[in-house]
Amino acid sequence: MDDISNIVTFLLNWLEQFSPKALILAATALSAGFAMIAGIGPGIGQGYAAGKGAEAVGDNEQNSNNITLVMLLGAAVAETSGIFSLVVALILLYANPLINLEGIGIVIAASALGAGLAMIAGIGPGIGQGYAAGKGAERVGQRPKYQGLIVRTMLLGQAVGQTTGIYALVVALILLFANPLLRLM
Amino acid sequence: MTDKALVLAASAIGAGLAMIAGIGAGIGQGFAAGKGAEAVGKQPEAQGVIVRTMLLGAAVAETTGIYGLVIALILLFANPLIKLLG
Repeated sequence: MDDISNIVTFLLNWLEQFSPKALILAATALSAGFAMIAGIGPGIGQGYAAGKGAEAVGDNEQNSNNITLVMLLGAAVAETSGIFSLVVALILLYANPLINLEGIGIVIAASALGAGLAMIAGIGPGIGQGYAAGKGAERVGQRPKYQGLIVRTMLLGQAVGQTTGIYALVVALILLFANPLLRLM
Repeated sequence: MTDKALVLAASAIGAGLAMIAGIGAGIGQGFAAGKGAEAVGKQPEAQGVIVRTMLLGAAVAETTGIYGLVIALILLFANPLIKLLG
């Protein structure tokens, strides 16, 4: 335990030498990077949808238009988590709300870091919604007559899957734009 | 840097880390959505029952995501650790 607390103490003392602004900007840079890790999700999910779409078109060439439509629709939903993360990262880089905040540098810096870490949650909806898109495309290929029902079910399920991504976005935005911790100081 | 600042800084990072739990619900509910769409495609006349089951299961999957959100909100808005600092 002694070693760990020594390292932490050393790290905190090392951080003391930098101005608060530098700490905040450094944390912002890291945070923007962390947020983009969420891109893993849509990548996997949309890839699965693409594979399923290709498979479905191979099996049911005459329905290829329906299949493609459902695949792209579902993939667009899966994309949203990636877009949220991109927006948070761009806000951090180009419209940083934390730079001019009154308060303790390290708390603001940690808030920036927390916001980026929260956005990593976007991996989940990305994968899940992509899976739903693939399954929807597959089914529409087999039963194009029921496209309406299939798409409705797919979208309903995808909307539910989006919720934790929204929670993470809300927490990130709270940390950035309505930081409650600074008042506690 | 004061002790209070350190605890608050760690609270901010902790709130962010807690939200990563949302990955699970996202993947799981998406899987349920896909399976639901598949089942409806096979048996469209059973759509009501299928959707109900899907939503019930998705609600259960949501729980750990809610737990993560609750912890994050506690850390941000009702931080119990600051009082422990004394």
